Amino acid sequence: MRLFLGQRAWMLQRVTAVVLLLFVATGAAMLVVGPPMTYDRWFALVTSPHGSVLIAVLFGALCLHGWIGLRDIVLDYVKPLWVRLPLLSLVAVLLIGIMIRVVLTLAAHMTIAG
Amino acid sequence: MRISIYRFNPETDDQPRMQDYDIALEHSDKKLLDVLMRLKNLDDTLSFRRSCREGVCGSDAMNINGRNGLACLKSLSELKEPIVLRPLPGFPVIRDLVVDMTQFFAHYHSIRPYLINDETPPERERLQSPEERERLNGLYECILCACCSAFCPSYWWNPDKFIGPAGLLQAYRFISDTRDRATRDRLAYLDDVYRLYRCRTIMNCTEVCPKHLSPSHAIEQIRLALVRDSA
Repeated sequence: MRLFLGQRAWMLQRVTAVVLLLFVATGAAMLVVGPPMTYDRWFALVTSPHGSVLIAVLFGALCLHGWIGLRDIVLDYVKPLWVRLPLLSLVAVLLIGIMIRVVLTLAAHMTIAG
Repeated sequence: MRISIYRFNPETDDQPRMQDYDIALEHSDKKLLDVLMRLKNLDDTLSFRRSCREGVCGSDAMNINGRNGLACLKSLSELKEPIVLRPLPGFPVIRDLVVDMTQFFAHYHSIRPYLINDETPPERERLQSPEERERLNGLYECILCACCSAFCPSYWWNPDKFIGPAGLLQAYRFISDTRDRATRDRLAYLDDVYRLYRCRTIMNCTEVCPKHLSPSHAIEQIRLALVRDSA
């Protein structure tokens, strides 16, 4: 739990921000410099073993970053405990759900591609 | 000169109100506090704190035309009319411009604002090198006027749990003091989702400090010290 409190959370938020920035910069560079992006090319990129891992890392960073940011907003603005706890649980369930969906989708497509 | 002042007496008023005063400037009126003192002579029900009238005691902090500042340091020439005076935002109002600073000072005391060193003291004094002493510049000058904390949205949201820029600046003053031996304990106390990490680096504190100090820089340094400490 300490991973999501105090200094660790603050550090994690910054590390995931750098990861997200790298992905955005790389993605933008690919669109601007690389050949035109087609569905087939995008599909091949995402379902390749390296691509799948990178997409999983991207969503992992996004979910962790989102968790800390949304938790901060709830801690700042939502005072009553009976609202705060369900709201935090909802955010956690949504983010974990997104992560599971991403991993399952990637796994399914990797199997098909394989 | 027209001055609009927040008036509230909890014993007689249901709601606060703004009261306008028109006062002719005199040659001796240089700072806002000079006019306030003359207004007080005309209307002795007007309440505000003041003491040293030279920016050292920090007791006449108030919201002046929407920004926190010290009435004794604010030149009349730089203020647009009508001058609107309100109590420090986010603080409970006791009466007119006088606010309750109890919580603010409780936070200040919580960071243990004194040197902690159990080692036997030397015969004369604990010496520092000029470089070590230099590190305290920009930290020890804080007069605890609360202009920064009362201008910090994070402090408005969590005044009971977030220590606030003034308290954290003071905390860093003792963390960076080479004579102090409780750095680890101090950092461990601050490593809390509320006490330190409610700061969103909005930097209102640095912008509004009448002593030109930078609490947001001190807060950043505490965060970096915590990273180094955990590494």
